[in-house]
Amino acid sequence: MIKKKVCMLGSFAVGKTSLVQRFVHSIFSQKYSTTVGVKIDKKTLSIREKTMDLILWDLHGKDEFQEIRMSYLRGASGCIYVVDGTRLKTLDVFRELRNKTRDYVGDVPFVVALNKWDLRREWEIGSDAMDDLEKEGAVIIKTSAKTGLCVEEVFQTLARLMVDN
Amino acid sequence: MRLWKHPKASLMESFDGPSSNAHAKEHSGHSSEKTLDELRNLLTGPQQQQLAQLQQRLDDPLLRGEELSRILPDAITLGTSRNDKIARAIQPTIEESIRTSVKKNTRAFADAIFPVLGPGIRKAIASTIMGMIQSLNQMLNYSFSFKGLQWRWKAFRSRRPFAEVVLLHSLVYRVEQLFLIHLETGLVLQHVTSSQITFQDPDMISGMLTAIQDFVRDSFETDKDTALDTLRYGGDQSIWIEQGPNMVLAAVIRGIPPLTLRNQYRELLDGIHLKFHSVLESFEGDVSPFEILKHQLEDGLKFQVKEAKTRISPLLWILLIIFLTLSVAWAFQSYHYHIRWENFRARLNAERGIVLTSVERKNGKHYISGLRDPSARDPLNLMKEARLDPSKFVFEWQFNYALDPESTLARAKTMLNPPPEVILKFLNGTLTAEGRSEHRWIADFRNRVLNVTGVNAYDDTHLLDTDLEKLTMARKLLERVTPFFPPGKSRIPEGMNEDLYEGLKVIRTIQHLQDLINIPVHIMIFGHADASGSKKFNLQLSHERAEYVLRFLMHNGVDPSHIKAIGMGVKASGKEGATQVDSILNRTVTFKTFL
Repeated sequence: MIKKKVCMLGSFAVGKTSLVQRFVHSIFSQKYSTTVGVKIDKKTLSIREKTMDLILWDLHGKDEFQEIRMSYLRGASGCIYVVDGTRLKTLDVFRELRNKTRDYVGDVPFVVALNKWDLRREWEIGSDAMDDLEKEGAVIIKTSAKTGLCVEEVFQTLARLMVDN
Repeated sequence: MRLWKHPKASLMESFDGPSSNAHAKEHSGHSSEKTLDELRNLLTGPQQQQLAQLQQRLDDPLLRGEELSRILPDAITLGTSRNDKIARAIQPTIEESIRTSVKKNTRAFADAIFPVLGPGIRKAIASTIMGMIQSLNQMLNYSFSFKGLQWRWKAFRSRRPFAEVVLLHSLVYRVEQLFLIHLETGLVLQHVTSSQITFQDPDMISGMLTAIQDFVRDSFETDKDTALDTLRYGGDQSIWIEQGPNMVLAAVIRGIPPLTLRNQYRELLDGIHLKFHSVLESFEGDVSPFEILKHQLEDGLKFQVKEAKTRISPLLWILLIIFLTLSVAWAFQSYHYHIRWENFRARLNAERGIVLTSVERKNGKHYISGLRDPSARDPLNLMKEARLDPSKFVFEWQFNYALDPESTLARAKTMLNPPPEVILKFLNGTLTAEGRSEHRWIADFRNRVLNVTGVNAYDDTHLLDTDLEKLTMARKLLERVTPFFPPGKSRIPEGMNEDLYEGLKVIRTIQHLQDLINIPVHIMIFGHADASGSKKFNLQLSHERAEYVLRFLMHNGVDPSHIKAIGMGVKASGKEGATQVDSILNRTVTFKTFL
């Protein structure tokens, strides 16, 4: 049995929690996120015929009132960054978080979920920005919390990356 | 001239190839061949001997067996110390051998393992029984007390099993869960719980605990090694957290545990650190190596139960008394049954005509077999007298005739069924009948007595035939009957014929008795006349008188076949010059009987 600590990060209201809530096992309510700054969920998946438990640390979104507690990142084997496609600013926050994470836990595998694909007409993040991201080594997956689009893929991809790492 | 060659050169030639060899043969011929053999012997003789010896060791199974037996123990010891290959290789063979042995002779195997299993089984049974008694006592105590009812209500309201509520209230403390957590990642390495508790996903709980630790550390700027060591909630519930260099041991506890428990957990954690140091160094999320810690952690799920009051529940007392009463009653009944059975058995053994050959008890029934004389008493009657239940007995009798005097006499009595006035005796093969009996039984006795097994002769000289006796008396009575006639008359007028009727009555008796004894009784009726009148007249008169009586008898239903009527005149009973009285006495008939 393999267990991995995975941190979910992103700007405030990018839809981290909404994105995964239908796909994970959860026992804690949202208020943990706002009080303690993290909510723990669990995702069990099968990767190369082996069962893997992802212990998801859903970190409270970074906003002007609350900084992410970096100590929560300790021991993470992978990260899921959630970016709101309709808010370009969240991409900057991703970069900021990414740098901080790298400083704290090193180069761990990560996946960028470009969320709110269902609202793609309102998107502010264009293909150039995405290309830049890919050049930076990011694996980008377009997701939708509303439709559930590619959410499983986010977990599967990250799991594979962690196994390969 | 003989060409000599150095033997080595010759040998060299022999290896040079066919052409040179052929050339050598040409010149040296047979003698060089011999020389070559000698040379070969000289050079390789010892090796050849060794080769031959080796060949023999390989070919001879006895020799190989002997050598193998010498090295096998050492080889096994060496092999076992290196790895478990030998154990794995011989495992199927050993398993098969055991299976075959068990199939072939179960008893031998059972005998062999009994010393190991026996005490264990006994201990397990004893402990189960003790446990049952204790829990029964506890259950009775709690079930019928006010406290127990309160707890029942609580269990009903909280929808938890009653047993759990009882346990919770009987506990001083109980460690319900133990988490072994990887310090850095917060991942659960191992998690154990006590039975009957519901719990949330340990991974998530562990993650949250770790997050809270971090939260506290960050929020209150404590130093890195200072950690939250206790979380307290709900009055009597707490989480103890012991932190080591790489791992955290968290214990979820209900109640108030002794502080020494913390030291135990400290030691436990230190021990695990020591053991898993290298695993933790390269930990990448694989928790399988920690699986072996499960039992060790389960041992850490400590608990302490409040010292139960030693008071035994009144209900248990009642149950105990009922049990004891029933046991005593059962023992009493069994004892009495045993006594009755032993008495019955002794009686059966002593019973005439019964010989017991085997008495067995199987499946709660007595199987009794033996020899039984037909005249012996029915064992079922004896059983009823002994107040035993016949349904619990199975008899198998072989009938035979016992030849002892008592059995023979009993058999004779059964077969001959003597009347109460007859006594039968048996001595030296002779059955003696004494007393009085009707003729019919005596005749039957004589007919059948020699058919009784064991009777060779009989003696009935002291046996009185009551019918014959009655007949003799009737005959005597009849001969005293004398009906009188009026002078010169051959008829007796009405009112004077009582004697005649008396005669009729006696003759009827005689005829009845003669039928019984089957011997005809001849009756003669003699007619008489007094001296008055002529002889011829008197003879005629006496004859008519006799005939008259015969007719009277016939008229009253008497069979005349053995009766004769004869006129005797005056000669037979009359006297010359007789008196008046004599004359009356002569006007009569008299009866005589003959067998």
